[in-house]
Amino acid sequence: MEAQTNTAQLVKDCSPIVQFAVLEDMLSLGRANSLWPLTFGLACCAIEMMAAGAARFDLARFGAEVFRPSPRQADVMIVAGTINKKMAPAVKTLYDQMPEPKWVIAMGNCAISGGPFVFPGQYAVVEGVEKLFPVDIYIPGCPPRPEALIEGILKLEEKLTGKRRWPVPPPQ
Amino acid sequence: MALYVLPLSAIFSEHFTRMEDAYYRDLIYLFAFCMAGLGFALGPFVLVHLLASRKTRNTANKTQQAIECGIDPIGDAWIRYSAAYYLYALVFVAFAVDVLFLVPVALVYNRVQGFVIRDFVELVIFVAILSLVIVYAWKKGVFEWKRKQTPPNS
Repeated sequence: MEAQTNTAQLVKDCSPIVQFAVLEDMLSLGRANSLWPLTFGLACCAIEMMAAGAARFDLARFGAEVFRPSPRQADVMIVAGTINKKMAPAVKTLYDQMPEPKWVIAMGNCAISGGPFVFPGQYAVVEGVEKLFPVDIYIPGCPPRPEALIEGILKLEEKLTGKRRWPVPPPQ
Repeated sequence: MALYVLPLSAIFSEHFTRMEDAYYRDLIYLFAFCMAGLGFALGPFVLVHLLASRKTRNTANKTQQAIECGIDPIGDAWIRYSAAYYLYALVFVAFAVDVLFLVPVALVYNRVQGFVIRDFVELVIFVAILSLVIVYAWKKGVFEWKRKQTPPNS
């Protein structure tokens, strides 16, 4: 709980000097409808992320297909895979280089908690990306299906705008 | 400034006041356009400063790092390259110019009938003179692709 308030304070520290409510609403609507993820795959979840971007699942339908090769142009980091302790500094550097406002999606069990790599005495894997920086959306699965990633992005849109843009599909 | 040499009576004439009005009106236009241009150039900076996020959340203090691949850069970008390639490139430039001048010659070649031999000889002379570049560069050892050995910090 304390960590959460801390994050809120951090976000507040980054907010613009001048804010207009209507302008902020419009900006968040624009941001939600065109989230630019960072091209960034760490492990097998990245394969599912690529599938989500490709023709069959077509992330472009939701405006989030512009995977940016540079963190300075991206606003969503999809942490897709296992974070080694060796990779963690690079991930943190990329997070630092993303300009505000920025969001993080932890995709898959490894990014959420370390997944199957957690056992007594393990020394190589960071047990969850939230150990490095705050996470907005968690997508469980090992790996999650592309639909799950799309749902995660829709959840992030919901977090930005306060309402859901697409209907919840009925369970089949 | 020619206004000042007008006779005193002319100062109060209608003609003069109208001209003076136009003069100041033009100045005001000039001033307004300058201010508008300045505002147009500087305004966005101010607006962006007010509306943009003040800073970005930072975990490893790498926000300002120029390289964007996540890995710390090794060494500096301002390193010294060998000049060997550039000498070679200069020889290429000589022959690029050669071709450049041969194209118009080829267009008018033999346009004046009966001087084919003369045209050909002139072309050969031109190419021969430029070919001295090769001889010169060869003599200088450009094609050996040797790096000049210089003592450090000399």
